Amino acid sequence: MIEFHSVSKKYSADALALQDVSLNIAKGELIFLAGPSGAGKSTLMKMVAAIERPTSGRVIVNGQDIGKLNKASVPFLRRNLGLIFQHQRLLNDRHILANVMLPLIVTSASKGQAEQRARAALDKVGMLDRANALPMELSGGEQQRVAIARAIVNRPQIILADEPTANLDRAAADRVLDALRAFHAVGVTCVISTHDEQVLESAARVIRLEHGHVVGSSVGGAA
Amino acid sequence: MNIWFRQHRFALGAAFGQVRKAPGSFLFNVLVVAVALALPFAGVTLLDNVRPLSQELSVDPEISLFMKPDSSREQAQALDPKLRGILAGSHAKVSFVPREQALDNLRAKSGLSDVLQTLGDNPLPDSYVMKLEGFATNGADAARVDTIADAMRGLPGVDSVQVDSAWIKRLAALLNVLRLALLLLAVTLGVVVIAVVFNTIRLQVLTQREEIAVSKLLGATDNFIHRPFYYTGALLGLCAGAVALGAVALALRPLNTAIAEFARLYASEFQLTVLHPLGLAGLLAISAGLGLVGAMLSVQRHLARLH
Repeated sequence: MIEFHSVSKKYSADALALQDVSLNIAKGELIFLAGPSGAGKSTLMKMVAAIERPTSGRVIVNGQDIGKLNKASVPFLRRNLGLIFQHQRLLNDRHILANVMLPLIVTSASKGQAEQRARAALDKVGMLDRANALPMELSGGEQQRVAIARAIVNRPQIILADEPTANLDRAAADRVLDALRAFHAVGVTCVISTHDEQVLESAARVIRLEHGHVVGSSVGGAA
Repeated sequence: MNIWFRQHRFALGAAFGQVRKAPGSFLFNVLVVAVALALPFAGVTLLDNVRPLSQELSVDPEISLFMKPDSSREQAQALDPKLRGILAGSHAKVSFVPREQALDNLRAKSGLSDVLQTLGDNPLPDSYVMKLEGFATNGADAARVDTIADAMRGLPGVDSVQVDSAWIKRLAALLNVLRLALLLLAVTLGVVVIAVVFNTIRLQVLTQREEIAVSKLLGATDNFIHRPFYYTGALLGLCAGAVALGAVALALRPLNTAIAEFARLYASEFQLTVLHPLGLAGLLAISAGLGLVGAMLSVQRHLARLH
């Protein structure tokens, strides 16, 4: 489902984010990307979402070569992805329901259909009772669960979560990870980046990155 | 088709949403654009009113030949072949105007029938009116007309010959100058309108850059993101056009009061009127179009930077 073939990414002559990275993520897998800040985790995720393009090598997502993808095709690729960011990037001028409806609105879904599916997504992450609240009225953990609802409302094939538990306390982080595991359990491919070693203890598969290189890949633990 | 309507309905709703968020700012921009549009709209209205008048007037040279008061009708009619001989080689329409017809015309057009009745005998002479066609307003053709007029002055029984086209040519030239000036003014102020809308949309793009960025990450196409800004620009132009046309219509009232007094001196009932509905719709479409162009330029430039 996601393939990296000898991928390198240079932002400038002395800023090498990824170097000769090769990896393969199968459909329905739950993968954790681990490594310190600056290891290249975010760059790798951005390439899957075609936010960045490889300087060399090939990135294949759902059979599409990201390096060769034309500009007009990028939105349609992203509609099959659920993106979750460290800083949730919720729109503060509209309530939670409207935030979760946004991925459906951009695909020209009817308002009624979008609202129905957004409510269902909020219900799945336990946030339906806060549907009419503004993002600023929620805690960090609640905001992250809303971000998950926004990511899954389009029924994506892949969820990319970049440091979703950073800045959250343990209880909130566990709730966020439980929500992501629940979507993995129904067949969604999940790629989660983290530098939280406690999270990795129970991970099924971990890919470790350092200074833009893959330095280790382990399989084991509980999924 | 359903999706197409839904996309445009959403974009229009988003544009109105922006207006609702900052109505004062939108109103101010409408007024600025309306001021820029009002001048050319007033000019168009003025020209539209004056054009029928100018079209009634001939710009082709017209020669009027008046017989001496004591010359006979036979003497006057005998001139016809001679006049056609002088005019040979020119496209000309020659009309004989008997003195009785001239008096009837004067009665009908001048409103002086009571005064004319007191004169008793008809004081007007027989005359010819010759309309020359295909003459340019250059010096060579003007000299030809003068030569023709001089030749006619030498005919027997002729009292006077007048060439009547000079002032009409000056009026036509003046209208052409006004038309050109209006065009230049419209182009200049059109650029001003585009610049105002450009800046308005630039500010909106900057205000909404987070929403734009998030929408793109969630799979929004460029068209989806651009369309609400296009609607906002067109809406701004449309509202400003309507305000400008309203202002011109209001300004016609005091103007018409002054014009009525002036026109009365010339026994005319000339009044300025607002443009016909098709003309109004055309100006509104141009206003909306200018707004759309400003928005498109702004969106292309500023969203490209955000990407």
